Amino acid sequence: MNRLLAIAGRELRSMFVTPDAYVLIGVYMLFAGFIFFASLGLFIVQLQQIQALGMMQLLDQWNLQDIVVAQSFSTFALFLCFLVPLLSMRGFAAERANGSIELLLTSPASSGEIVMGKFLAIAALLAVVGVLTGAFVLLLFVYGNPEVAQTLAGLQTLFLYSLALAALCCFISALTRSQIVAGFVGITVALLLLILPVAADSSQSDSLKEVLRWLGTSTHFDPGLKGDIRSEDLAYFGIVIAVCLSLARAAVDSLRWR
Amino acid sequence: MIKAQGLTKRYGGLTAIQDVSFEIAKGEVVGFLGPNGAGKTTTMRILTGYLPQTSGSAAVGGFDMATNARAAKRVTGYLPESPPLYPEMLVHEYLSYVAALHDVPRKERRDKVARALTACGLEKVEGRVVRTLSKGFRQRVGLAQAIVHEPAVLVLDEPTAGLDPLQISEIRELIRRLAAEEGRTVILSTHILAEVDAICQRVLLIAYGRLRLDARLEALRAQGSLEQVFLREVEAAAGPQAKAAGLVEAEL
Repeated sequence: MNRLLAIAGRELRSMFVTPDAYVLIGVYMLFAGFIFFASLGLFIVQLQQIQALGMMQLLDQWNLQDIVVAQSFSTFALFLCFLVPLLSMRGFAAERANGSIELLLTSPASSGEIVMGKFLAIAALLAVVGVLTGAFVLLLFVYGNPEVAQTLAGLQTLFLYSLALAALCCFISALTRSQIVAGFVGITVALLLLILPVAADSSQSDSLKEVLRWLGTSTHFDPGLKGDIRSEDLAYFGIVIAVCLSLARAAVDSLRWR
Repeated sequence: MIKAQGLTKRYGGLTAIQDVSFEIAKGEVVGFLGPNGAGKTTTMRILTGYLPQTSGSAAVGGFDMATNARAAKRVTGYLPESPPLYPEMLVHEYLSYVAALHDVPRKERRDKVARALTACGLEKVEGRVVRTLSKGFRQRVGLAQAIVHEPAVLVLDEPTAGLDPLQISEIRELIRRLAAEEGRTVILSTHILAEVDAICQRVLLIAYGRLRLDARLEALRAQGSLEQVFLREVEAAAGPQAKAAGLVEAEL
């Protein structure tokens, strides 16, 4: 446990003494903020139009939660496909490139501890990203009263989704010496998983359709972003994290054979 | 303290070392000599648990690498060919991290880091970022990380490679001092004969993946200069039968 925490601590400290994490999270917040306030602005304009036209019956469906929060959250999910791979691409790739992997593998730390340490560090960073994202919604209380429970469910879903991506990228970075390759492959796989349900719709066979839809990440975060936490989605993210981390462990083990 | 028995390592069709056996007693300082690509690094990586052997067995501090690697790793300090540093870390921060990795309890970490810093003459740079250090100082930090958990066994892979003459003599002096501490067992690889002459009591000579010679230094000196012995053995090892057996230079 001590070794695991030492690895996670070192990883986190490294992220914060180099500009990487600041720049990446800063750019993410810039885009996220833009999307959030643009959709809020649009919402307010449309609200005024509806009122001017006197179509009061529309106001019932026209709420802040669905239009602004849920919509921006699903855009954030897309941003995460870029943010998480870029944050985690250093992981093992950098250790292998600068030779420090030799220190890790000749220390008493097990492959599992090494993988969990790295994952924990990124998870902590992603928790910070989650809190910052939540701060946007806090601002909404100035304009109205968004649903607290739905918003928290959305944030939780975003966080879980980012953890799943982090586990995936942890595995990918253990496969290569190059950070660039780790980053690009990570982004590609994340985007592919995101659009898999779209491919599912065009498939002929029903069973294939089901499988593709189940594999796709968006199938499992869409309901959560709208405030509907389903246990099957929690199970999906849990499975993805567990499978990717065990694969990462196997990949680290295999480094000893090369 | 160190025992290798019939160690063989193949990478695919490449045989890096074959049937290497030796035993090193507590407190011995042994030079692992051989031309580049002879299998020195491979042997050391097996002894430190970085690579598994294809066959044979290795034990360090009485712990077998195959069955009790964690205990063996705990008593071993290892300086790989290029020191495994994190360029963005502070020197003392880095040493404290390595100590934690090797199960040094939190309470003792500060003391042990301070001792390693003093031992390696790093007090003045403890607050510096590793990236900004000269090559000689980085090598010292590499040595400091190898001894910070006070291991009984030190494995040093070409500790003076790439340094200038002044740095080389400093690092040699340092290794001699670290070796003398608490009857530590040291195995260091090099292809520089003078280094063995300066630091070691015993020589293991490896060429083309096979152990050619295992002798005490004074016994060798009686046979003539170290250089003559070295050339004779390496040439003998490079003989036609060695090549026919498919022993190729390999150093990962």
